[in-house]
This record gives sequence, C-alpha cells and structure tokens, in this order.
Amino acid sequence: MEVRRAPGGYNSPVNKIRNFCVIAHIDHGKSTLADRLIQLCGGVSDREFQDQLLDTMDLERERGITIKSNTITLAYEAEDGETYTFNLIDTPGHVDFAHEVRRSLMSCEGALLLVDATQGVEAQTLANVYLALEHELEILPVINKIDMAAADVDRVLEEIDEELGLDPFEAIPVSAKVGDGIEELLEAIVEKLPAPKVDLEAPLKALIFDAEYNAYRGVVLFVRVVDGLISPGQTIRLMHNGAEYEVEEVGLLQLQRVQQKQLGSGSVGYVIAGIRAIDDIDIGDTITDATNPTTEPFAGYVEAKPVVFSSVFPVSNDDYEDLARALDKLKLNDAALTFQKDSSSALGFGFRCGFLGMLHLDVVQERLSREFDLSLLLTAPSVEFRVTTADRQTHIIENPAEYPDPAMIELAEEPYIKGSILMPDRYVGTVMELLREKRGADIKFNYLAAGRIDMTADLPLAEVLFDFYDRLKTLTQGYGSFDYELLDYRPTNLAKVDIMVNGEKVDALAMLVHHDKARARALHACKQLERTIPKQNFKIAIQGAIGRDIIARRTINAHRKDVTAKCYGGDVTRKRKLLEKQKEGKKRARAFGNVEVPQEAFLAVLRADPDES
Amino acid sequence: MSEPSGHPTKRLTNFPQTTSSTILPSHTPGLYVHVPFCSRVCPYCDFAVQTGGPKKQFAYVDSLVQEIRSWGAQVRGQGHALGALALETGQSAPAWSCVEPFDSVYLGGGTPSSLTLDALETVFAALSKAFRFAGDRTVTLEANPEDVTKANLAAWRDLGINRLSLGVQSFDDDALCLLGRKHTSGDAISAVRAAFAAAFDVVSLDLIYSVPGQSADSWLSTLEQAVGLEPHHISCYELTVHEATPFFNARKHGQLVEVDDDTKADLFFATHRFLAEAGYFAYEVSNFAREPASRSRHNQKYWDHSPYLGLGPSAHSFDGQSVRWWNERRLDDWAGVLDEGRLPIADAESLTREQLALEEVALKLRTTAGLDFEGIERRFGVELASLNIEAIKHLRKSGLVEADAAAKRLVPTLEGLAVADTLAASLGITSG
Repeated sequence: MEVRRAPGGYNSPVNKIRNFCVIAHIDHGKSTLADRLIQLCGGVSDREFQDQLLDTMDLERERGITIKSNTITLAYEAEDGETYTFNLIDTPGHVDFAHEVRRSLMSCEGALLLVDATQGVEAQTLANVYLALEHELEILPVINKIDMAAADVDRVLEEIDEELGLDPFEAIPVSAKVGDGIEELLEAIVEKLPAPKVDLEAPLKALIFDAEYNAYRGVVLFVRVVDGLISPGQTIRLMHNGAEYEVEEVGLLQLQRVQQKQLGSGSVGYVIAGIRAIDDIDIGDTITDATNPTTEPFAGYVEAKPVVFSSVFPVSNDDYEDLARALDKLKLNDAALTFQKDSSSALGFGFRCGFLGMLHLDVVQERLSREFDLSLLLTAPSVEFRVTTADRQTHIIENPAEYPDPAMIELAEEPYIKGSILMPDRYVGTVMELLREKRGADIKFNYLAAGRIDMTADLPLAEVLFDFYDRLKTLTQGYGSFDYELLDYRPTNLAKVDIMVNGEKVDALAMLVHHDKARARALHACKQLERTIPKQNFKIAIQGAIGRDIIARRTINAHRKDVTAKCYGGDVTRKRKLLEKQKEGKKRARAFGNVEVPQEAFLAVLRADPDES
Repeated sequence: MSEPSGHPTKRLTNFPQTTSSTILPSHTPGLYVHVPFCSRVCPYCDFAVQTGGPKKQFAYVDSLVQEIRSWGAQVRGQGHALGALALETGQSAPAWSCVEPFDSVYLGGGTPSSLTLDALETVFAALSKAFRFAGDRTVTLEANPEDVTKANLAAWRDLGINRLSLGVQSFDDDALCLLGRKHTSGDAISAVRAAFAAAFDVVSLDLIYSVPGQSADSWLSTLEQAVGLEPHHISCYELTVHEATPFFNARKHGQLVEVDDDTKADLFFATHRFLAEAGYFAYEVSNFAREPASRSRHNQKYWDHSPYLGLGPSAHSFDGQSVRWWNERRLDDWAGVLDEGRLPIADAESLTREQLALEEVALKLRTTAGLDFEGIERRFGVELASLNIEAIKHLRKSGLVEADAAAKRLVPTLEGLAVADTLAASLGITSG
C-alpha cells in the first residue's frame, strides 16, 4: 500500500476538513480500521507504526478494548489532487462508556458506522446509530472483516437497510486487517461526509471534548473549534465558571502533539494554557475569547450518571493522600467517575466512588493500581436504592452502612433498566431462563431479519451488575449482544446482609440485596472467605446474617501443622524469602478481632460471580 | 565482552561485601560438597541431580578439584589466584575469611555413594591439600543402601568418613516402589547392619512419611523397624510435592492424591511421640538422636549462622557474618564457569541485621532448644524481646511456646513446633 503522505501539511481550508468518528459494537474492528487509516494517510512513519496505536493504555491493549477516546489528525491526498484534513476520533464500544461516545459525536459532522461482516448489526450498533442521529451526523456504513470466511456481506446489507434504516448502497465493504477497500473508504469520506459549517464572523467557540494532565505543562485540553480561532497569546475563558487563561500553545494531535500557529474554525486539536487547577476543567465546557466572548455556549451536555457504587480504601493508611490525588487526576479524563470521602471502622479512611458499570469499576481499580501504584480494597458494589421510612422521609441509599433500621422501612425501591438483547433465535430458551433468574419482567420479543431476535426485558440494575454480560455471551456462544437504558424505580424487597468473622462484623463486606437472593449471596461471600482466609491457630467461624438471623455459615479449622519437615541443604535464602513474603502479606491483611483477613479475601468476595457457586 | 558459547554467564553486579563488623564473630566452619549424581532420579526430588556415567563423573571430579583448589588458594590468601578468579565486573569474589579449620565435612547430593572409590579418593586428596581440618572433625557421607557393600564401607572408613547417612526412606516395599527407590526393605536392613559392623561413629537413617497411599500403620511400622535397628540418628522428612517434578505432574493429572492436611498433622505428632518413647529425642522438626553427640553437627551450622562453604553445583555458602552465595545449579553451567577460571557463583546477597535476625528466629523456632532472644539481640544489634511481649503472651496462652517471664528465652512445645513457620512470621524485629 503506498503511503499517501500529503505534501502540503495540515492546514487545509475549512471545506477540506472532515471531522468524523468511528463508532461500532465492541470488537468490530474500530482500532484496526483506525490503524489502517493512520498508516495510509501517513500519520506516522512506517518505523513508528505500531499495531493498535490509538489504544495507548497498556490496559486497553491487554483487554483488547478501547477505553479512552483518542483523536488523531491525518492528511489525505485525494483523487482530485487536493489535500484533505481528516480528524479521526476513535471511540469506545462498551455499554458502560456511552458517555464517551457522546462527547466525541459532538465534535464531528460524520460517523463511520462499522459493522462486522461476520456478526452483523448488534445491540450497540443500533444504540450508536441512534446517538449519531441524535447529534445529526452524516452516517457512512462500513462493513468490516470481509476477508473472513464467515463474512456475509449481503445479510449485513439487509440488516443495515431494515434494522438501521440506512441506505445500503452507501455502504463500503472493507477489510481493515488485510487492507481491502480502504482507498474507496477514504474517497467516500471526502465525498459523502460534510465539511464543518463555520461562521467566520462569530466569536471563538470551541468544545472541550477531552483533557489530560501533563506534569510539566499542566492540563492539555482537546478541543473542537466551531467558530473563530485560537492562537498563543490569546486570553481564553472557560465558560462554565468564567476562569480565564492565557494560551501558551496550540496544535494538532498527531501521534505526538504538533505545535501550530493557530487552530482555525472547523479544526480539532489541543490547547495548553498553563492550567494547573484540575477542578477548573469541565469536559463538555465551551472555550471562548475573554475579550470577545460568544453568547451561545454549547448546550449543557448530559453527564453520565453513576449507577454502581463501591468504597475504595488504601490497604495501607499511609497511602490515603496518594489515593486522593490519584482520584483527582483520574477524574480529569474520566468525567463519569464520582467520589466522596468515606470511612469504615475496619478499613479506615477511603472514598465512596460512583461508576457507570462494572467494567468502569474494574478499569478504574486497575488504573489506580497500575498508573498510581496503589494497593486497594474495594467493598461490594451496590446500586442506589430508594428507601421510604415510617416518618415519610425518602432516602437514597447505596451504602449498606446507611441502611436504616428495617423496622422503620415502609417502602424500598430499586432502579430498573430496560435491557435489549440481540441474538439468533435459537438461544431464546436459555436466555429466557437467565432473564427469569435475574428477576426480569415484561419480557418481549421482536423477530428481526435472518433468524435473529430482539428480546427486551425489564431488569433490576442490581442483577445486571455482576457478570450478566459474560453469562449472556456464554449462553449465546458469543452471538448475543446487550445494551440497556435506565427506566425507573420499582418496589423491591430489600435486605441488609452482614458478614462476620468470629463474631466481628466486617462492615466493608456488608451488602444490600434482594431478599430472595440474600442467602445465596451470603453463602457465596462466606465460601470465598473460607477459600482465601488462611488457616490460623484457632477455628474461624464465617457467618452471613440478616439482623440476628444467621443465614449462611462456613468454618475454617485451626491449622495444626504448617511447618515443612524437609531436608535443607543450607539454602536458607529461600526460606527467608518465603518468610519475608509472609510478613508482607500480613501487612496487607486487616485484623477483625483476632482473625487476619488478607487483601485477597476482600477481592475474592468482590470479584467472583455471586450467582455461580 | 563476548560470552563463550554454551556457557550462560550470569552477570553479577555489585558484589556484596560483608556488612558491619559489629556482628559478633561466628562459630567453627563447615564444608559441604554437592555430588549431583544418582543412578536414578526419584520422582519427588527437586535437588540439583541427574544421572551420569563414569565419564560424566570424571569430568565432574576434575571440575570439583579445580573449585577446591581455587578456594584453597583464596583461603590461603594467595592474591594471584584471587585475581584469576575475579568476576567480569572486576570486583572480587565473596571472601571466605574464616581462619578456623573445618570441623565438619558433608558430602550430600544426589547420591555421593554412587561416586567410584577412585573419584572419592581424588576429591578427598584435593580437600586435604587445600584446606585445614579440625582433629575431631565429622565427615559425613550420604549413601543409598544399594551402594553399601563391605568393600565400599571399608574404603569409606579409610578415607576418614565417620558418619554415614543412609537413604532408607521406608521399610514398606510398596512405598519404596512409589518413591522410585532402587532398594528393597531387606536391602536396607542389611545395609544398616553392615554399616554398624564397619564401626562408623554415627549411623543415621533418612525416612520419608506422608507418602500417598501409605497408611498410618505402615508408617509406624517403618518407624518400629528403624528403631529396632538402633541407629544413632534418624531424620524423618515429610514428602512435599515440588513444582517441575514427576509427582507434581502426576498430581496435576489426578494420578497422585496427596495425603490430606489433617493426616499430615497426625503423622507429624505420631512420629514425634513414637520416637520420643523409643528414646530418640527430637532436636529439630525432622531430626532425632539417641544422644546429643549423635546430632548433626553440620545442620546445626545452618541454624546458628556458623560459616559454611559449599562446593559443587547448587551448593550454598555463608561467610559467617552477613553474606550468602550459591553456585550455579546446573552441572554444565557450574563446570563451564570453572573452565573459564572463575568461581561458579550464580548469585549472592548481603543481609541486613534484621534479615539475619529473622533467619535465626525462624531457624531456631524449628529446634527444640528454641531461641535465646538476648543472644540474637546482642549478636545482630536488633530488638526482639520488648517488641514481642504481647505476641509471646498470646503464644504461651495458646500452648505453642514456653517462655520465661522476661520473654528472653522461647522454646516451642510440640504443638508449636508443628506451626513453627507461622510463629516466626508473627514475631517482629527492628534494628536497635
């Protein structure tokens, strides 16, 4: 493939700019396609090229998913001989990160809608199309993975037509992996996607769609300039709080930042303005000129609401400050993360955090661990319940510690979602069972083209939190896809389960669950603890209780012997290292009464699927 | 610096030197020689062993002699020899600075008794030339029953070997089969009797318990037979399944079912009680002697931070102060480095006072003599007693240790011995 490196550089006139994102269901090949476009448009030298380049975080590479939204500016020399500037925004696909998709959409005029030729239209494809239409983007369907034996392009075209309501004739078949169809795609982007509409007379108006923190330069803002232009020396105003800063540097986002003299209308790039106060930044905010401000900031954009809550504690109390700072830094480019101070009698001081879902929780925990080198304990995740007490007060509760005296409770309600599952109809039976197990109601079917079915059900959010997606994938052998939207609060039968170790409550493991699930959840927690708490010099009773009623129990017998009666040979080093490791492990354990509960035990209760024994 | 082909050299950076001179001088040194050969490798063994015919053995002995000479030169302070031994980094090798003669020589392995008499003679000759030995030295040879012949026994005595440790493992032929041993219980009995007839100062038996499929009765029967032969010393080791051994794989594939934890505990207690009744006093978790003089002088050095020099592949050494080092594990690597004129040291570590104290606490808690906090505090300049008063009170209450009022001496009870490893982990140490 020849590299079409545009000679002129990147400052195309507005009508030669194309701002677009690539949206799709998970694993349909967004990153590979982005790689190809980068490779073809000479965004990087061949030597610098690295697979999945836009997935910059190690975590993303490991899991094969995109978490952060990344942007890159490319130059394409089209068949008409003109140079076009492509601002390509790569977006995450997981249902938890829909808010990230919205932010990107607001910066674009067009969207490449990627559909895997072997999978077809999936739940999130639909969801993303609706989002794109909501933001009035021009959508260009792209059918990917046509190189695969299982590819069925005709079927996908049918789905695009019937299920998405888009023009199948516009669709471009490609194989990002092999490189087929990419040149046609590039031309289509030029021809079919609109250039940005700008008002050259209007005052500066730019959207902050992302940001990151750089230790040397402060906050780096990623912006889409809608009207006006930004250049160094200019004083800008952040409209949500009026803070003003002098611009130090602007430029384009290639694989590294490339300084420019200015960022013009219609363009996408970065702004550095000596901003050190992370709190001043609101993703979705409008930047304008302090001396000639716009009167129309961007319409408030809906913050994604956290729905899953968990308390995070540093294993060592000394790390509390580090955790606080880390959360601040993380929040900068993870606007959906919420947190506030929290404390536990057993675990000390920490933070109550709100997440968009379990994947979000997982990702945040891993980022805290890797990027900030923090060892953490997390409590069981919970949703927000609504509890009305006898005195007619309504409380929003997501922390078991705040659960009122059950005798005082008149009504308890939990959040429900409408879940939508797309899959081949042969899995209906097993999925129905899953839905019933998860307390699904109002189950409906909608038969689609080609033997596929769209199943919807009202489900409690709490039931969807743990591994629902993974179980669905297993039951449907990978063909099922899932998406959901929040519905309303509905009455529920709630119970607070306490976990005790030799009579001492481990408040960090307490949970709020539906009454029918209480015993199973309690037993699961007890079993995980039984498995992970090491034997000690006395018997350990692990119990789950609702109030005074013990509903589950496991016992760990005292160990009578641990010493290794083995032959030595003078290798004392190995023995000592083992001992040092044991001592380290003790430091990471918390004592409840006289029982040492190691960090692994907390994590085990949290991680494993409580619906599987 | 190009590496000679075929011999992976480990780069040893920043070679540790002995730390503080405030650490009190240690006791008399021991010498260990690792013989890596066995006629057959047992399926549970994770020592550095392999099979090897006469050619391999000769080559091994050649290299060993070289290693012995090199150390001998260093001990005698012959500078030029040291220069030839200097590692690539230009730093000097760990120093054997102990001036006292060795009062214990231990040939272990592997199966040292599988060496030919010629080979053994060569080794002993080199040792005598290179080092000085105390007049009342103990010289131990590990031997398998199938190598015990009248001729061999006499030759071993002639070489000065005065302690024989026999790898009996069991008197149950089924267990011997599972353990992959080459001898029968009958062979073992004859070997023990012959050893007695050859007038070694100490005859010791090695036994293994917690063998999968072996009943508690069968083990007790083995103990009875062992005791009936009246050896001076018995070692009882629990079978442990180590990674990368045939037993490990067998277990992974469900072909080997290990003895459960409760039974392991039962066997441990039963062993100690039985042998105590029979007049064999435990002085350590695995070691029993009829009288103090029969205890293993060599192993004691491991437990009280005496210096010991290890020769041969995988052998470990300690300089008596704060430096530990160990040889290349693989025979080829070990020989290769010696070929290049260097000491075959794979790695080393320099210990802090806290680490030394931790080691001593852990090792001494496995002995029935227990530990003397004051001694450890003085020797390494660390704090133990005042730090651990609460912990020790708790252990006393749980019946795991006996301690004097000031918590200066700590002696594990049998129950405490059984959990000695976690006991050590619960004691704290800070440098004074």
